[in-house]
Amino acid sequence: MNRKKEMTAGFLFIAPSILLIVLLIGYPMIYNFIISFHKVPVNPKKPMQFVNFGNFTKTLADPSFYKALGVTVFFTLLVVFLSTAVGLAVAILLNRRFFGKKIVKALILLPYIVPSVSLIFAWKYMFNNTYGIVNYLFVDVLGLFERAPLWFDRPASAFVLVTLFCVWKFFPYAFMSFYAILQTIDRTLYEAADVDGANGWQKFKVITLQEIKPVLATVVTLRTIWVFYMYTEVALLSGQVKTISVYLYENAFSMRDMGKAAAISILLFAIIFSFIMLVRKKVFKYE
Amino acid sequence: MSKKKKKKIVRGIFFYAGILLLMAVILIPFFFMVTVSLKSAKEAIQVPPTVLPEALTLQHYKDIFNANIFPFLKYFKNSLYVSVLAASISLVLGIMAGYALSKLRFPGRMTISNSFYCVYMFSGILLIVPLYRLLSSVGLYNHREALIIIMVVQTLPTSIYMLKGFFDTIPQEIEEAGKIDGLNYVQSIFYIVIPISVSGIVSVFVYAFMIAWNDFLYATIFLSSSDLFTLPIGLNSLFNRPDYIWGRMMAAALVTSVPVVIMYAFSEFLMKKGTTEGGVKG
Repeated sequence: MNRKKEMTAGFLFIAPSILLIVLLIGYPMIYNFIISFHKVPVNPKKPMQFVNFGNFTKTLADPSFYKALGVTVFFTLLVVFLSTAVGLAVAILLNRRFFGKKIVKALILLPYIVPSVSLIFAWKYMFNNTYGIVNYLFVDVLGLFERAPLWFDRPASAFVLVTLFCVWKFFPYAFMSFYAILQTIDRTLYEAADVDGANGWQKFKVITLQEIKPVLATVVTLRTIWVFYMYTEVALLSGQVKTISVYLYENAFSMRDMGKAAAISILLFAIIFSFIMLVRKKVFKYE
Repeated sequence: MSKKKKKKIVRGIFFYAGILLLMAVILIPFFFMVTVSLKSAKEAIQVPPTVLPEALTLQHYKDIFNANIFPFLKYFKNSLYVSVLAASISLVLGIMAGYALSKLRFPGRMTISNSFYCVYMFSGILLIVPLYRLLSSVGLYNHREALIIIMVVQTLPTSIYMLKGFFDTIPQEIEEAGKIDGLNYVQSIFYIVIPISVSGIVSVFVYAFMIAWNDFLYATIFLSSSDLFTLPIGLNSLFNRPDYIWGRMMAAALVTSVPVVIMYAFSEFLMKKGTTEGGVKG
């Protein structure tokens, strides 16, 4: 078959996908940029009004923006670090032969596969203020707290709860990635280290960490973007944790200030974009 | 007993204790989902809580499938409609694009392959404002089709990337043999590429289906009448009413999880089977 035919087929096969992505990701992003310089009337039939950098100055002068950003950065660091660390620890723990391994490996994935909306009902039930099992255990049985913490109603305890939930739900993803790469590490490396008298930590640092580095970098980057933008789990579990996504959503659909919401989106994108550039340069050493 | 053997036993005990703790942390929420769905409404909110149901009841499961009591089936159908269509379209487009990127040489192919990573930066919350305005302006507000289109686009980059990876493992010779027999590109996809990559294709469908099935964010933005609600927003709205019943919510939560868990297990099964068969051939 000749080259020209192959080229035409290639273009034809890829065209619908490219078209959709340009139309529904590329163009909306540009449109986002345009909206961010306008005041947008609630009535979609009325024209937008150019306000220059008005939405940006308004956002940057809003204390809730910085608060939301701070909460989100802290939340992202915690969730990414903990879910990666737990995922890695479990992958190392399971990286051996033992009775019941297949079923254990399958069950670990449950929090990751089951829809968040379902999981959140279970968590809300367990952490319920009056009849939840967690408060029953902590307060009545163990006596850890004087009074039952209202998990969902205070920003600080709700933050803890949402963080716990997200680590629980997302560590299986890290586990899967690490488990796969651990299988490929040559056993003889560890045997050689044993001969040299290395302890567990040294073996981890010198062999395991070096071998899993590429996967670690990918897991951390992708998860960071993901947790930074996360809306569903945070919004479903508690109204008290105001991350930047919740802040954006409220500006767009509760306050109906689309111009400001678009400006927030652009700022968010700028933050994530700089983060990725930094990671590519420092971690992946791309130029 | 030798010292070495003793040490081994102690380590074994610690290891299994670790596994048990891990399983407990993972499974306890599911344990409550199951037990509460079988408890009476009163027992569910009893203090101190009961561990196992005192009186088993299947009433909640009957209730959620009774349209007069609970609109679960309606939401289920909406979710199914959105997820099946979105996953199918994403899969078909993904097969075409993945095939082009894997097997056909054309200008720009490398650039496209390398830029999939970027799309991650534009997902979810970032596009809610422009997509809301754009799709509303073409009359798709409060239509499930808006959700389908968005789910296709949100899953497409990963679908293409995954499928390209599966197609890359098909040896060039197999396809060339087909070409000699006079197959064109479309026939080659249908008769050679798809049959060889069944397990990969299923896993991509499952991936896209799960994303669409779980979507909450875009559903809240685009769907306003409860007749069109998908499961995530439908169940959440029922939960926010003061008269919700725990058992019913838990039964609904469990039945909501069943399709994705089964599909995921099935695709894993196919994958495992695929790799062992491949090993025999190689």
